[in-house]
Amino acid sequence: MLSMKNISKVFKTDLVETHALRDFNLEVNEGEFVAVTGPSGSGKTTFLNIAGLLEGFTHGDYFLDGVNISNLSDNKSAVIRNEKIGFIFQGFNLISDLNLAENVEVPLRYRGFSAKERKVRVERALEQVGLAARMKHLPTQLSGGQQQRVAIARALAGEPRFLLADEPTGNLDSLMARQVMELLEDINKAGTTIIMVTHDAELARRAQRNIQIVDGQVCDFTMYQSGQTDNKTQSIADAVSVA
Amino acid sequence: MLQIKPILSMLTRSKSGPLLLLVQIILSVAIVANASFIIKERVGLISRDSGIAESEVFDLTIYNFDDAIDPNKQNLIDVEIIRNLDGVKAATSSSMTPLSGGGWSSNFTYGSSEEDRKEAPNAALYYGDEQMIPTLGVKLIEGRNFHPDEVSSGGPELASLAIVSADFAKDTFADETAVGQIMYRGNIGEQPIKIIGVVERLQSAWVNNSNINRSVILNTELGRSFTRYLVRADESAIADLKEAIPAALHEEHPNRVVRGFTTIKEHRNSSYRDHELMATVLSMMVVLLLLITSLGLAGMVMFNIERRTKQIGTRRALGAKKRDIVSFFLVENYLICLTGGGLGALIAVQLGQQLMTLYSLPKLELIYPIVTVAGLLVLTTIAVILPAQKAAKISPATATRSV
Repeated sequence: MLSMKNISKVFKTDLVETHALRDFNLEVNEGEFVAVTGPSGSGKTTFLNIAGLLEGFTHGDYFLDGVNISNLSDNKSAVIRNEKIGFIFQGFNLISDLNLAENVEVPLRYRGFSAKERKVRVERALEQVGLAARMKHLPTQLSGGQQQRVAIARALAGEPRFLLADEPTGNLDSLMARQVMELLEDINKAGTTIIMVTHDAELARRAQRNIQIVDGQVCDFTMYQSGQTDNKTQSIADAVSVA
Repeated sequence: MLQIKPILSMLTRSKSGPLLLLVQIILSVAIVANASFIIKERVGLISRDSGIAESEVFDLTIYNFDDAIDPNKQNLIDVEIIRNLDGVKAATSSSMTPLSGGGWSSNFTYGSSEEDRKEAPNAALYYGDEQMIPTLGVKLIEGRNFHPDEVSSGGPELASLAIVSADFAKDTFADETAVGQIMYRGNIGEQPIKIIGVVERLQSAWVNNSNINRSVILNTELGRSFTRYLVRADESAIADLKEAIPAALHEEHPNRVVRGFTTIKEHRNSSYRDHELMATVLSMMVVLLLLITSLGLAGMVMFNIERRTKQIGTRRALGAKKRDIVSFFLVENYLICLTGGGLGALIAVQLGQQLMTLYSLPKLELIYPIVTVAGLLVLTTIAVILPAQKAAKISPATATRSV
């Protein structure tokens, strides 16, 4: 499904070179629910941006659905983002001047669906998150948890192959966070691959696989804990003393 | 993809900015459409062809103070003196100077019997001799000029022949030929005046008169103590003639004053000065208004881009291509522009009606508001396209950042 090989990302200024990711390798299989954790500045967001084709990378290869998407044009990247990837952002990123239905409709319009098809998909997605009755409401009339559910509906409406969630519960209280997490688990059970970046260790534990990024490199603790780790993961795990 | 519906939703929910821009566009269209129409009217007036060799013809007036002078005889002597000077192509005494702002006009009647008498329209009145036509350089299109022996010298009641402008002929006799028609001058007795010729165009002294081309030349040199002359000369000779004409006239009789020497072109410039000023001021106002509106549009777009940076990043993340972002801002502003333009056009027509009633202006032609709105659409494109292209460059990664 998703395969990153030796991905590195270097930010350059006149004076400094910052390696946000270095020799980053990751395989995510179809239907997996992967949690990505790591300290601030470790490269989580950079990984998410690269995985979601929101920004490019300096070296390496990235295969999505078996297709090498390195060096894609801006337009082709936009099409893949629209068709294959659903995004859930920490701050929900809903458009405050549009009602819920119009918000959910945004990616569908870019997809070129007819008005009828959009209507069906919007209603289905909002029903899935339990907000079909409030589709004419504005985002500001909803609680944080409800807003995040709308954002999830927006991500689901295009029926993407996988969801990328950036701290989806970061702005929610624990009750709402649990509800959103349950919703994501249901979506995953229905077959959608999910990669979730989070700071919340408890939420990360609920995922099938827990990846930790440290200094721009990946450390797969699921493999570590099961004794199948390689030398690199072993050394990173020892360094951060998580095991 | 046009996204008209969601853009309309956004505009109606975020009212204040678009509303201010809308008001600005409404006022701009209403004012620019009417101002453009007035400018076109004024420029149309200014650019009317007089048919006269304006740079070559100048006027002068001789004021005789010697009571012993017989003006009828002296005028004939004076015009001959002027005609014989080097550089002079033609000269005539004249009751008025075209485009000068002051002169004579009269009503005429025509008809075969007193019972059938009909009113002819009011016309500018030139009294002069057989050199009036060559002096002015106007074109005789029908009939003939006066013969020298047909020109009388004395009072206006002596006039018996007339050459009329084509406009006067058409307005009076419609499709009938004017040549050979008999007419009678308003309140100067019942002396019949026979039309013997028609000139293509001859303007009167009054540039604001809507019937400026309705003129009549009568075959009489008016014998008065002050007489105006029209002189045609090579442009290069006019400066010398300003010296030579008074010198020659004073040599013949010293006790008089010669003044004037203003070309018809100078009279034109002077008479149309207010119109030119009006057209210039209105043109500047139109340019300024359009500039302010363009800046308003560009400012609003830049403000919106700043305000919506995260939203643009999110749209890009959700699959918007760069051209979708550009089209979003273009459509948003086209909608404001078209709504404002439509309302502005309605107000422009209303304003035009008011101006028509209050200042006797012609009715505003609908093409002016339409062209103004079309022009504003072009300006909108110019004002919006660059900021919108800048917005399209916002990275989709902005969606995951705290902005």
